[in-house]
Amino acid sequence: MKVKIIKWNSVATWRWKIAYDDVCGICQVHFDGTCPTCKYPGDDCSLLSGKCGHNFHMHCIVEWIKQESSKGQCPMCRQKFEWKDNPALAAPTPA
Amino acid sequence: MASSNRLRRIAKELADIQSDTASKILAEAANGGSDLSHLHASFPGPPDTPYEGGTYVVDIQIPNEYPFRPPVMKFKTKLWHPNVSSQTGAICLDTLSSAWSPVLTIKSALLSLQSLLSTPEPKDPQDAEVASMLMKNPEQFQRVAREWAIKHANAPKTTSWETTIAHSPSNSKPKSQKVISREEQLRLEAARYQGYNKDLIDRFVNMGFDIDRVVEAFTFVNIDKNNGEDYELEEAYMGDITARLLGEP
Repeated sequence: MKVKIIKWNSVATWRWKIAYDDVCGICQVHFDGTCPTCKYPGDDCSLLSGKCGHNFHMHCIVEWIKQESSKGQCPMCRQKFEWKDNPALAAPTPA
Repeated sequence: MASSNRLRRIAKELADIQSDTASKILAEAANGGSDLSHLHASFPGPPDTPYEGGTYVVDIQIPNEYPFRPPVMKFKTKLWHPNVSSQTGAICLDTLSSAWSPVLTIKSALLSLQSLLSTPEPKDPQDAEVASMLMKNPEQFQRVAREWAIKHANAPKTTSWETTIAHSPSNSKPKSQKVISREEQLRLEAARYQGYNKDLIDRFVNMGFDIDRVVEAFTFVNIDKNNGEDYELEEAYMGDITARLLGEP
């Protein structure tokens, strides 16, 4: 029997490679959701991992670091917050 | 925009507090309405303290910048405590000011307040009169704190706490210096270690140093608390601690 495919629809799901079942400590929204200022999750509202091992929505942690009272510290462990390059989180390069 | 985001988090936090019945913490919009930037919360006074059996109501104002700035909390219930103004209910607690972090929540802040009631810190007072009474006459402090709890916080007239005080042998000696309950003594003692393991600190105390100075030296050298567990210190750290202890009288 020969089958001729006329048309198909594909569906995909995604999630960040880290943080399976966790929320951003700052906005308390799931990592796969958006920070409070964004509308669409994903590359537009990415995550940032600290060298200390704590993750946040990038917009959330940047807002905190901007505050003078943050003293540049991670909200979780109060170590100096330095973000690390995480290939799993990097935006895919456009083809 | 920003304010609706803030409200979303507050609403979530309130739902979280409501679903947690074990902590006995209550929180709701102050005016019963939809304004979530002004809340009223309450928690029970911690056991084995003069505040036991009382209910403490806290007024909470949530700033526009929340959670990047701390909620502004003060006690609506009057209480006798060195870190709370006996007149205005204003609170002196670092987690509600300089040590605030956006991952803290209204619930965690209320738990910190509850714990503040168990561990008064007269050296960093909000109310100087209360603090000096706690240091000079702890028995009188306990009595007044209890009277205020009964009068203002609806604490019952007798609790297990008062039985402990009444039966503590030191209470029968009129001029005794240490007229605080055993539990209170143990807790004050534990507080002096500031989260360090007792045996770890005591190895230095046994050399003849005061506990507070040893703990200070540990903090100065930035020794890991290791979650209160005992462990072997590296020789370099031992040296630093000893140097600190011997160097500064």
